[in-house]
Amino acid sequence: MADEKKTPEEMLEEARNMIGMETKPVTSKYSVEYEPIRRYCLMVDDDNPLFLDPDYAKHTKYGGVVLPPFAPFGIMSGGSPAMMASVREGTGEEMIMPPAPGKFLINLAQEWEWFKPILVGDRLTTKVRLADVYIKPIRIDPKAFWAVIEMHISNQRGETVCMVRNILLRHRSPEEVAAGN
Amino acid sequence: MERKQLYWEDVEVGQEIPTSYSLKLDATRIVLQVSGTQDYYQVHHDRDFAQAQGVPDIFVNTGFLTATLGRLLTDWMGPEGWLRKFRLEMRKMNLLGDTLTMKGEVTDKYVQNGDHRVEADVWCETDREGVTTPCKATLILPSRG
Repeated sequence: MADEKKTPEEMLEEARNMIGMETKPVTSKYSVEYEPIRRYCLMVDDDNPLFLDPDYAKHTKYGGVVLPPFAPFGIMSGGSPAMMASVREGTGEEMIMPPAPGKFLINLAQEWEWFKPILVGDRLTTKVRLADVYIKPIRIDPKAFWAVIEMHISNQRGETVCMVRNILLRHRSPEEVAAGN
Repeated sequence: MERKQLYWEDVEVGQEIPTSYSLKLDATRIVLQVSGTQDYYQVHHDRDFAQAQGVPDIFVNTGFLTATLGRLLTDWMGPEGWLRKFRLEMRKMNLLGDTLTMKGEVTDKYVQNGDHRVEADVWCETDREGVTTPCKATLILPSRG
């Protein structure tokens, strides 16, 4: 959570002391289900039967409906406004968010690797690690914070199904920068 | 609703990915984005909040962008294909009102440890900004042997 009493450099020192920290593994309350997949596909007009049609999918090599490759984020979030706020503020158990002077969060880059398919009925566990944090200026904030977050996702058999690496930007508003906050 | 299977032998380096498509980022699409990603961060659906952050308008989130590009690739590769790696960079924003187009081009193909791999550049672009979201993908495809 942003601390108005500390300078960005002081907050960076505190943040860098968190590098290497990991969350405890968090298992999703719900297993992977059909309806969230349907809503996920609907948002981009995806009609792929591998993701939507159990009768079709059972005749593929997977034997059932498969989670679209990038869906683990949304499926696992158990999203709510309060949960998203806790992720940004670093108070939720599912994310490590280092302190930063800015409250605004932008996701700048992602890297994904997939190892196993994820099927309806699987139950996913995530573990998150802070890999790096540094100051790098952007147009509207010369003291913008950049954080590298790694997420490891496994299934109920303990198999790694995918890994995601995020580069996140935390920055202040133009007004906050002008006010010297 | 059969899906055509793509085989490694049928891919040519330099070819365009034929499953390109476009989406209009209108208000309904923004609502669908929230529904599909369960991302309730206000910057992705609240204009006042987005502008207070210093951006021109609502912009779509990472989950939405990856879904668009995931569809481009999974539509192309067929049910036996496997997306192995992906890197995405969000360089410019994709705003409410833009028309987003997903495209791709094959950059390499090779065999590694028995896997028949294809490398591709894929991206999102808008009329307003050009390429907004450049990415690199590694697929593993079945081979006719």
